[in-house]
Amino acid sequence: MDSAPAAVIDDCPGFWYLFEMAYHFQFPRSTQGRPVLLALFCLIACVAQAATVFAVEKLTVYSGRSERLIKPVLDEFTSKTGIQVDLLSSGTTELVNRLKAEGDRTPADLFLTNDAGSLEQARAAGILRPLNMREVDRAIPPQFRAPDNAWIGLSGRFWIIVYNTTLVKPEELKSLLDLADPKWKGKLAIPNAGSEYLQAGVSVIRASYGDARTKEFLVGLKDNAGGQVYQKSSQIVEAVAKGQASLGIVNHYYIYRHLAAQPTAPIAAFMPDQQESGMGAIMNVAGVGIVRSTKHLESAKLLVEFLVAQAGQKLFADLDKEYPLHPEVKADPALVERKNFRAAQVPLTRLAELREPTLTLIEQVGLR
Amino acid sequence: MTTLRAHLSSPLQLVTLASAALILLPLGYVTSQALSADPAVWSRLWTTRIPELLTNTIWLSASVACLTLLLGVSTAWLVTRIEFAGRRLWEGALVLPLAMPTYVLAYIYSYLLGFGGPVEHVWQLVAGPQARIFSPQSYLGATLVMTLDTFPFVYLLSRSALLNLNVSFEEVSRASGISRLKTLWLVTLPLMRPSIAAGLALVILYVVSDFGAVSLLRYQTLTYAVFQQMTGRSDNTAASILSLLLVGLALLFLVTERWFRHRSRFYQTTGRYRRPERHRFGWLGTTMVTGYLALVVGASFGLPAYLLVIWSLSPEAQATIDNRFFGFLWNSGFLAACAATGGVLIGLPLAYMANRRPSWLNLGCLQAAYAGYVLPGPVAALAVLVLCLNLTPFLYGSVLVLIVAYVIHFLPAGLQSLEPALQQITPNLEEVARTLGLGVRQTWQRVTLPLMRNGFIVAWVLMFLQTMKELPATLLLRPVGFDTLAIRVWMEASEEYYQLAAPSALLIVLLGLPTLLLLLSKDWRAA
Repeated sequence: MDSAPAAVIDDCPGFWYLFEMAYHFQFPRSTQGRPVLLALFCLIACVAQAATVFAVEKLTVYSGRSERLIKPVLDEFTSKTGIQVDLLSSGTTELVNRLKAEGDRTPADLFLTNDAGSLEQARAAGILRPLNMREVDRAIPPQFRAPDNAWIGLSGRFWIIVYNTTLVKPEELKSLLDLADPKWKGKLAIPNAGSEYLQAGVSVIRASYGDARTKEFLVGLKDNAGGQVYQKSSQIVEAVAKGQASLGIVNHYYIYRHLAAQPTAPIAAFMPDQQESGMGAIMNVAGVGIVRSTKHLESAKLLVEFLVAQAGQKLFADLDKEYPLHPEVKADPALVERKNFRAAQVPLTRLAELREPTLTLIEQVGLR
Repeated sequence: MTTLRAHLSSPLQLVTLASAALILLPLGYVTSQALSADPAVWSRLWTTRIPELLTNTIWLSASVACLTLLLGVSTAWLVTRIEFAGRRLWEGALVLPLAMPTYVLAYIYSYLLGFGGPVEHVWQLVAGPQARIFSPQSYLGATLVMTLDTFPFVYLLSRSALLNLNVSFEEVSRASGISRLKTLWLVTLPLMRPSIAAGLALVILYVVSDFGAVSLLRYQTLTYAVFQQMTGRSDNTAASILSLLLVGLALLFLVTERWFRHRSRFYQTTGRYRRPERHRFGWLGTTMVTGYLALVVGASFGLPAYLLVIWSLSPEAQATIDNRFFGFLWNSGFLAACAATGGVLIGLPLAYMANRRPSWLNLGCLQAAYAGYVLPGPVAALAVLVLCLNLTPFLYGSVLVLIVAYVIHFLPAGLQSLEPALQQITPNLEEVARTLGLGVRQTWQRVTLPLMRNGFIVAWVLMFLQTMKELPATLLLRPVGFDTLAIRVWMEASEEYYQLAAPSALLIVLLGLPTLLLLLSKDWRAA
């Protein structure tokens, strides 16, 4: 079997012959030139690599946010300041693991995430650098940043319900916890268990209602979602828009981004838990921290300054449809106005300590 | 004792040992991490995730095995036993699906079969506007994609078995008045059993270790779960436990495959080879056979390739072909070239020593190098990661770590062509060179290396091309600014930006085509 007899090769159609010719191709007899060529190739490869390393002033950003959402903002920064930004987009938790492992040798200068809990964890692990910047203190209200400014919230997002307007009436919806009701069986789309928003959301529910109630909720959620467990929020919105799912739980801006691209899509956002004695909508922030070991502190500070300033905040509002945290920057008019709804009263800094037991609970329930 | 010391003192021996250690150490670290884990973690996993993951993985492998058996053997039988117009064309076209990485096929099928996708539209014309088809993000979808992607393994092996069979057996059966179909059932198939089994074991190994398709189709298998644990949790304990299970499962299939391959020797027929008689088909038969083959090749390669081309030509996709795109291409090429070169450099001493000084030590080292077979991408990444964190933390996040993971993962593919190349050189030649006064080094330079150059090149090309399309290890270990084509495809496709993923995907498929030529000639096993 291993060595095909000659007859098999005779049997090959024409284009295999081509290969046979290539296979038996003889290099020119003189072997003198070859090592030189090889060395030349290696040299070119090394120089090309090195050239990208020792370029002009450059920042390396580890980003747990989708590249599509953050790259335009960073490009704007580059075009304003001339400082190049190298972006590594990956999962938030994965990047925290990576930063911990790399320690002081990390090439990262800044760490951007989609979740305050991860930022607080990174701060607790001593990865982030406390900051003393007037611009930050002025722009971002204190509840949206770490006490020592090791991380700074940049934009607010709410974990809310997206529903298909032809399949669901808003009167049917009240609280996130109602989504565990068996009447939504097979109609619900949820993010996967590794998603930081889901983890943060479950943490807030635990803090508001206790573990027993939360577990009940998660079991119902798992049954109702069945196979509709998605990796990305954008996929959930897409599924709801197509009617594949009737409703889903996502970060609000995915809904408005979808609507901005396709204004006729039959979807709408529902701000849950606004009823009396309800916990309020679950809020999280995307934020940034400067890595402790950075060798480009001045440029890194420039980037932070750019992100918290009105111009930068406006980019988050316009491009990403998030709620800017700068009090003087208005959110996109399509969004529910911020003062018209309540947010859950769980401080962002608590998300980190709530997280480990939340993960255990999620695993116990067996969410994917 | 003295011989052992003499052995160890040879630098080549040390290199061999070091290479084997490089491959085994990571595996050892993962194993020890899994075994030393808190029993509570084990029991939590056993009661929650493991039953689902094991059943999913085994069901998927079993159903893909059954379907590839049907597709692979039937197509192989048609192109070897029937003469019809265009037979030779189909004979080659049937391996084309192997150029499609699973994640490319998966993303195309999640578009085609997706909710409101083209297939559903057609189906609704037939069965009424409310009719739904099965979702591609399911057991059925994963089975379909994996089957279309892997049936060529069974096809290739069955085809070569059918060509090598001693046709006299079949002729005796026919002469005794047994019908053509019954001959196939009673004589041909039993004779092909070992090759079919070997092909199926390969398919299963491939399915068990696949990451690309199951992640895009969101079908929970062990390999996917390892990746999710690594990216979603702050410690790797659960990931190593799942990895250990996965390695155990893969090892089981690998041993089965080896066993069948060993047994297959009994079935090799000696005597003069004769080309099998091909039954001529009329126009009706030809139409049916062509229709069937066109359906198989169309579904597994033709239609996906067509869509990739169309999408790549769309304005959205054209806009992505800029300097960044060529940067990704360069990254892919650079990483793949490093990995292939590293693989050849490490594989060569291993193969050489096992071949020329087959002591238990050297043979053991060679076997260790084949460990990559049972290390699916995420596990290889995890293993290298754990090793690096424990021994050489300063290397973490560098290109080197990624390249080591590639080498471990793809070394078996390279060894498959290095080993036979070495075996074919008789040691006599080297001995003659020595007696004629050449030194050890000169003998290597002037005799051994030139003779094995072809095996060398094939091994390099195979490892290069496999690294080009590697996904999970790259995702987990890539340094800053090292996104590759495969990563771009996966990132865009996992957000369902089909057009944007197309140019990179198309390029990967095109670059994969040369591997097929290698496959068709000798090294079918390596991909």
